[in-house]
Amino acid sequence: MLLAAGAVTVAAVARRRRRAPDERDRYLAVTVNRAPDEVQSSLPEDLARWRDRVEIRIRPAAGDKGTELSVQPSEQVSRHELRLALRRAKAVLEAGEVVQSDTAPTHPGPMGKALRLVTSRAGGGGRL
Amino acid sequence: MKALCWEGINDVRVQDVPDPQLLNDQDMIVKVRLSTVCGSDLHLLTGHIPFMQAGDVIGHEFMGEVAEVGPGVTRHRPGDRVVVCSFIVCGRCWYCRNELYSLCDNTNTNPAITQQLWGADPGGIFGYSHAMGGFRGSHAEYVRVPFADHTAIPIPEGVDDLSALFASDSVPTGWMGADLGGVKPGDVVAVWGSGAVGQMAARAAQLLGAERVLVIDRFDYRLRQAAQAFGVETINYAGTSVGDALLEATGGRGPDVCIEAVGCEAHSTGPQYAYDQVKSKLKLETDRPIAVREAIYNCRKGGSVFVLGVFTGLVDKFPLGALMNKGLTVRGAQQHGQRYIPMLLDRIASGELVTNHLATHIMPLSEGARGYELFKKKEDGCVRAVFQL
Ligand SMILES: NC(=O)c1ccc[n+]([C@@H]2O[C@H](COP(=O)([O-])OP(=O)(O)OC[C@H]3O[C@@H](n4cnc5c(N)ncnc54)[C@H](O)[C@@H]3O)[C@@H](O)[C@H]2O)c1
Ligand SMILES: [Zn+2]
Ligand SMILES: [Zn+2]
Repeated sequence: MLLAAGAVTVAAVARRRRRAPDERDRYLAVTVNRAPDEVQSSLPEDLARWRDRVEIRIRPAAGDKGTELSVQPSEQVSRHELRLALRRAKAVLEAGEVVQSDTAPTHPGPMGKALRLVTSRAGGGGRL
Repeated sequence: MKALCWEGINDVRVQDVPDPQLLNDQDMIVKVRLSTVCGSDLHLLTGHIPFMQAGDVIGHEFMGEVAEVGPGVTRHRPGDRVVVCSFIVCGRCWYCRNELYSLCDNTNTNPAITQQLWGADPGGIFGYSHAMGGFRGSHAEYVRVPFADHTAIPIPEGVDDLSALFASDSVPTGWMGADLGGVKPGDVVAVWGSGAVGQMAARAAQLLGAERVLVIDRFDYRLRQAAQAFGVETINYAGTSVGDALLEATGGRGPDVCIEAVGCEAHSTGPQYAYDQVKSKLKLETDRPIAVREAIYNCRKGGSVFVLGVFTGLVDKFPLGALMNKGLTVRGAQQHGQRYIPMLLDRIASGELVTNHLATHIMPLSEGARGYELFKKKEDGCVRAVFQL
């Protein structure tokens, strides 16, 4: 089953990606399909509110791909929180809003409940 | 409202669920008129895609009437007839701007799941598990359509509801296989699978100029339908060697373009079927790539293979040697519907593209479970069960 394969893959990826100390400072990044000056001048609140605590970097993406928006994690903000903020900022800049998921079913069952634990943290993305 | 829900493996039931609400400014609510089963749903039913919760509304191939629009919707008005693409798209990210709509960056609300599995997250789909965004599906009286201006497409007057329905998913999927598979005038094209997707890929290949199109399946009724609707040649793999038949049909070269429209639960008459079943039971492989292997093996040197069938994880015995040494191009994708749907609706309106024969069983939503049973078991000549709301 996919979940089993998924778990194996995730474990393998996690093993491979257990971060060396100097890797912890690696920037988290998204590419936004807008010009750098537009991103600079209208940085959405989701991300802008961390401005004092993390370094935010804005630079043109290669080719026609817009702007690379990166943040350097710090002790003060969790990587999960930052990923979520980046993803939300990108959605607002590109599409004007962050799409909400539909209301979940009332009786998810045991498998569904386990899945909810996963989805409750799956919003920001990132390969972990 | 009433909706057909996934309640567990091979268990779908009509339930009462709350009416959908406008949650975002760019949302609209569609009153569903017709919603149909798709081969992709079978992967949910069998538990192949385990990111489901009991009570999830399924269904993603549908059309209907706009009931309510959010303040950010400009292209649709209440009362408009629309076909809604199975993929939810923002229309403005780099992927959408480059017409790679199913790769939309902004519509999967749970990106971490597919990022872990595949390294990146595709866009969201209606009724297709929490890995693909957790959106409610279309086998329901009403559906919330996010980014409505981009996700839904108006239906021209000359196109009836039933013909338009399939422009949501199976028609653009098939078209994409032929288009991105690179079908050119004079090509010989082989299509694995004579379901709605395979048939539409075969028709698309013809319309893109293919000289011969051969469709492969084991169900005679499906092959007959493809032959009658479009005049394609057929191969029933249960009684024939597909490889020999294709070599004969192509003067020993093999097809120029091979389109796979079968997916991860492919069947086979040979020993590899048992092999794949054992491997997947032992969780050493998640998908059975039988038709993909066959397509790669039988494609002509320098030819192209397009994978339309849905796969979820890891496969075994992938013929990498054939791919490399024969210089093949192998591609796959979830459908980039919005790229093709307006053009396809025009072709449907002109009569060039016929789709309504796919609706072999039309029934009320209350018979949803029976519809899936017929579709899954390929009984009573079922190609698509369509629910009327
Ligand atoms: N890429 C996309 O965006 C997209 C969209 C819709 C559907 N799909 C996928 O396309 C596939 C087909 O969808 P459908 O709705 O037509 O499904 P379907 O179940 O109606 O048809 C599949 C057909 O494949 C045949 N088949 C099985 N094993 C075969 C083999 N070894 N060789 C040849 N034929 C074989 C079956 O007999 C059946 O007729 C599914 O995997 C579905 O998930 C993909
Ligand atoms: Zn589908
Ligand atoms: Zn997009």
